[in-house]
Amino acid sequence: MSSGSTVLLARKSIRSRLGRTIAIAVAVMAGVSFVVGSFVLADSLRAVFDDLFAELSEDVDLEVRTAQEFDGDSAREPIDVGLADELRAVDGVAVVEPTLTRYAQLVDADGEAVTPQGGPTLGVSWAGDNGLQGVTIKEGAPPQGPGELAIDKATAKREKLAVGDTVTYLTDTGSHQGTISALIGLGSGDSFGGAALVALDVDTALDRFGAGTKADALDIAVADGADVVTVQRAIEAMLPARTEVITGEQLAAEQADDVNQFVDQFGIGLLVFAFITAFVSAFIINNVFQITIGQRLRELALLRAVGASGRQVRRMITVEALILGIIATLLGILGGVLVARLLVAGFNAAGAGFPSPQTIIAARTYVMAAIVGIGITMLSVVVPARRASQIPPVAAMRPELGFTALRTKRLVIGTIITTIGAMLFVIGLFLRPGGTLGLIVLAGGGGLVLFVGVASVSSTIATPVTRAIGWPVEQLFRTPGALARQNVARSPRRTSSSAAALMIGVALVSAAAVFASSLRATFVDTLENAVTADYIVTDDSFQGLSPIVAETLAAVPELQAVTPVRGIAAQVDGDTKAFGAINADAFEKLVNPDLRSGRIAGLGLGEALIGVDPAKDLDLTVGDSFDVTYQNGVSGQLTVAGIYGDATFGNWLIGLDTLESVSDAPARDFFIIGKLADDVDAQRGDVAVNAAMEPFPQANVQTNAEFRTSQEAQINQLLIIISMLLFFAIAIAVLGISITLALGVFERTREIGLLRAVGMSRRQTRRSVRWEAVIVSMFGAVVGVVLGTFLGVVLSLAVPDDVISKLAFSPLIIVLILIGAVVAGLIAAVYPSLKASNMDVLEAIATE
Amino acid sequence: MNVTTHPAGPPTAGGDSVPAAGAIDACKYYGVGDAQVRALDGVTVAFETGRFTAIMGPSGSGKSTLLHCLAGLDTLTSGATYIGGTYLASLSDRELTELRRTDVGFVFQAFNLIPTLTADENIRLPMMLGGETGDLAWIDHVIGTVGLADRLKHRPSELSGGQQQRVAVARALASQPKIIFADEPTGNLDSTTGTEILTFMGDAVREFGQTIVMVTHDPVAAANADRVVFVGDGKIVGEMSDPTPDSILDHLKQYGV
Repeated sequence: MSSGSTVLLARKSIRSRLGRTIAIAVAVMAGVSFVVGSFVLADSLRAVFDDLFAELSEDVDLEVRTAQEFDGDSAREPIDVGLADELRAVDGVAVVEPTLTRYAQLVDADGEAVTPQGGPTLGVSWAGDNGLQGVTIKEGAPPQGPGELAIDKATAKREKLAVGDTVTYLTDTGSHQGTISALIGLGSGDSFGGAALVALDVDTALDRFGAGTKADALDIAVADGADVVTVQRAIEAMLPARTEVITGEQLAAEQADDVNQFVDQFGIGLLVFAFITAFVSAFIINNVFQITIGQRLRELALLRAVGASGRQVRRMITVEALILGIIATLLGILGGVLVARLLVAGFNAAGAGFPSPQTIIAARTYVMAAIVGIGITMLSVVVPARRASQIPPVAAMRPELGFTALRTKRLVIGTIITTIGAMLFVIGLFLRPGGTLGLIVLAGGGGLVLFVGVASVSSTIATPVTRAIGWPVEQLFRTPGALARQNVARSPRRTSSSAAALMIGVALVSAAAVFASSLRATFVDTLENAVTADYIVTDDSFQGLSPIVAETLAAVPELQAVTPVRGIAAQVDGDTKAFGAINADAFEKLVNPDLRSGRIAGLGLGEALIGVDPAKDLDLTVGDSFDVTYQNGVSGQLTVAGIYGDATFGNWLIGLDTLESVSDAPARDFFIIGKLADDVDAQRGDVAVNAAMEPFPQANVQTNAEFRTSQEAQINQLLIIISMLLFFAIAIAVLGISITLALGVFERTREIGLLRAVGMSRRQTRRSVRWEAVIVSMFGAVVGVVLGTFLGVVLSLAVPDDVISKLAFSPLIIVLILIGAVVAGLIAAVYPSLKASNMDVLEAIATE
Repeated sequence: MNVTTHPAGPPTAGGDSVPAAGAIDACKYYGVGDAQVRALDGVTVAFETGRFTAIMGPSGSGKSTLLHCLAGLDTLTSGATYIGGTYLASLSDRELTELRRTDVGFVFQAFNLIPTLTADENIRLPMMLGGETGDLAWIDHVIGTVGLADRLKHRPSELSGGQQQRVAVARALASQPKIIFADEPTGNLDSTTGTEILTFMGDAVREFGQTIVMVTHDPVAAANADRVVFVGDGKIVGEMSDPTPDSILDHLKQYGV
């Protein structure tokens, strides 16, 4: 058999059916572009951060710091500065520089604290112009002694400060004054990634930041010609216990890793939506192939009649798809670069502050693009190509005999697929065989299988449902409306196939809506029942709040109870747990943690409050002791003072004094909660609290109600982001409806010609096609909402109770989705309705 | 050509000509019970090599079904059809496909050509599908005879109905098949163009020794044939050699059609 003839036929077919070809190519491209864009964006951002941190520690050959026992979120213990002198004595060590990064903030002439836009306010130590941490002097000389400081040039410009000005600044130890000796920058930039910086010489920093004799780390540069590894070994030999020495490269990699973990998660999140888009594209492509094979029935039968084998027909269709897939993939890669740029611009417009990256297309990206682009095209064509090969040659003369070959046992297969999909989804979510991977593979895969199944089963309900949806259309638009309604209902399979892609998009939005609503309802519930605090102070800088914020707040007479919430990671029974540290006496007045046994107030040194779940798991009751090892390596025992049921503040709580007894790490508060005194009204309280917090701009003071609103707003924002990421998929779905409808109009050429001949106006023709599109997209939306709500409920039930314990639905979102579906239908109808109404009546009737 | 010869070959008709194709007690039923339609009800007929035979009959007489079954496009309920020395029922789908490509040519009433291919490509299609070039001199001769040399690069949509049918006939002739089946080849054409096509088909039989079996309901068209076979109610109801339009009409009147 000749493969040359199949390729020729395939090529010719692609060229002469340009509209269909473009439609398929666009669908493939969209999927590929999104996948490529996600990879390019993540790879490029990662490269930026790798470079940035490598540049920052370029001059650091080695760093000495305290060791940590295991991975966790605790701040590293500080290291004694006295060690620096011993290090300087090691052979080959040229420079040893203690580094410190703490809280410091400028106060302007009016006594207002200077706040950068979005970035943190940091105090750093600076050893002078031989500084190892990438600091460069833009103007002036390094600060020396307690009377001098350096600030970053970007802040200086904004605040109109110059070298020689005297300024006031706040640190953890209070308010200080100094003269600006230098304006500094990072490398060639004037700013430190948006942070406002106050730099002091090392001794002044230790004193003013309240660090005593302990720095964060000791950075080392080796002498010219000295071997870094030899020096590292020499240092290792002399280090005290629980300290370590790492290379500058390791340091840069660690720092970059912290950021890149976020980049990776972000990239994976994007990829999920990219694959959803590709999946939706596959539906469209499959549908278009299916329809065109129906339209080409006689042509394909003729090929069979003149001697093409079934295999040749199948190969021809497959080759057509392959050529299309390859071209679309190549275009998709180009599109992906554009998508990456758009995503950066989009997220930056939303305030993400991504650096503008160079474009990195890794080899892996090309491979994935090919797998996705060519893969979805080939996968979509398998069934249509097989059907095409089964068209009997006699259909060339009697087409009606051919259509039976195109029919399948859709309901039976569809029901089986739907059941399997739903089972996989539920098993994946609830039983989680194989841990997280099992969850993702089973629940994700099950979800996809479920979509395929529902798409195929939905044809059985298409006729009654679209008749119902079409009823008001018919009442409104009479004959064109009735025609629209009948056209949709007469080919239920076509209707369900073209609505399938939209159904998936809508289902995902609906599932996210149920999930978000439930999350919000649970959160509100918790806040109402478990939290009795009037004020919640959160941290806008992601650095944690300095303890002086909580101290200041505690000193406000209008408040009766204030506690900060700090954290430390510790291992209990071999598992790493996040411990919260609180002022228990205040905590009891601020939180209702559903105490089951024991007490909260009077929590002593070495005592702990634990949740009911871990108490049960470890078989602990009040008065029992258990062993803990903190991340800094300190180990000890804690005695259970109380057992509580509400895990809003975690399952493990200790007193602030216990935390201080085991860790020297600089204290940083996640948030602070406070309660008004009984005789103080809210208005007076607000004034007092806001006045007390004025010097701490990164402390975001919210009343209980404001906090609730802002958290709800965050959940809403999450939902909006998810919907926006589904935009691609939904746009493809609309394109799909448009293509199907255009092909339908083409098929009905003669029929439309007849209608026009007997007196239907162009306007009525357009209207009929337009409402046909609206009914189809409404059908997709209705099925999608039902399916999505089901998925959302299952998903919400699968999530642990302390995250979601209450189901909630959002009728508003459902209404918005349905309105959106009408709009989607109207957009999809633009081209097909024009095509229908612009038909030449005589030609249309003459068409066979 | 790999078509295997059936061990018990088809009967050789007596006389000077050997049948190129034929049917033996061919039956084709659609449906069951009361709704059963007997499209072919025991047809035995043979078509001699090198002759032009017309099959005539009214709508629903079973003439098209007979043609489809003779050509291997459709299958019988019982009985047999053969082409050359081969019973079609003994062939697999693959062998049947190859038979269609190499031993059989088709001309349909309409939709004869692949719309995406040029006239030239359509003519060479059966050879292309087999990965062959065919007899190039012969193909050029056919194209010259059909008078399409200047339209070869055109797509079907750029050709008139008559030109399209000529391309279809050229395609059928190009692979030098044992037999050409034509299903109302002039049904969609005006009479002048129709006559042109029929004359051309007649010439192919007389000049090239081609065997053609043609279904038609038009006595004028049938008169171009060497022999007419009449079909009614799924049975052979008569036949005639060297027909003229008048003799055919007389024959039809005789049966009250």
